[in-house]
Amino acid sequence: MTQEELLTIKADTSVDARGTSCPGPLLAAKKAIGTIEKGQIMEVLSADEGTRNDIPKWCNKKGFECLGTVEESGFYKIYLKK
Amino acid sequence: MANKKLTLALYTGSVDKLTAAGVILGGAAAEDMDVEIYVLLQAAFAFKKENALTNDRVAEITDKKDEFLASLDRLNTPHWTDAFKTAKELTNMTIHVCGFAGKVWHGEKLDDFIDLVDDICGISQYLTSAENSDINLFI
Repeated sequence: MTQEELLTIKADTSVDARGTSCPGPLLAAKKAIGTIEKGQIMEVLSADEGTRNDIPKWCNKKGFECLGTVEESGFYKIYLKK
Repeated sequence: MANKKLTLALYTGSVDKLTAAGVILGGAAAEDMDVEIYVLLQAAFAFKKENALTNDRVAEITDKKDEFLASLDRLNTPHWTDAFKTAKELTNMTIHVCGFAGKVWHGEKLDDFIDLVDDICGISQYLTSAENSDINLFI
């Protein structure tokens, strides 16, 4: 997805993991993914640089689709589709 | 498809390495890996009830211990026992204490160890687990 497309996404759920370091955001995503239905979108907020690389790899292994990352001031919004 | 399996031989009793183990276990839990942990010698000291929360020994870069521990606090890093607990809640994870290791530290009963521990085992159990794992780690 392009940055413009990512900016228009309205996530079905949002996980704010900005106060944690690796693997905190990944575990927060893992806990939250069970709360959404297949086809729904989750937004993970993380200030952890490694997480922006981790989430796509995790999605690939678990069969979810990582839609992309939007960089905000001091944190990232990572979008994934279950 | 069956879950992948991680076997972790945990020898260390130091919080730096136990914290690293907790990070790896978090990743394994996120990936739904089956995890078997074998608590060996020095780790058995750290897993004893009276030591788990008070032991602050580090194994590496010991002259920077205070800076290291302060950084863990600054980064809101969970104590290793909490990291292990979270991983155990999220995936199929079993913690075994080596019977010999337990005796070294005067822990012969399951009740001598923190509640995360599932049983006291022998070395064949570890080797069998290692033989059947996708990933084997020794920390």
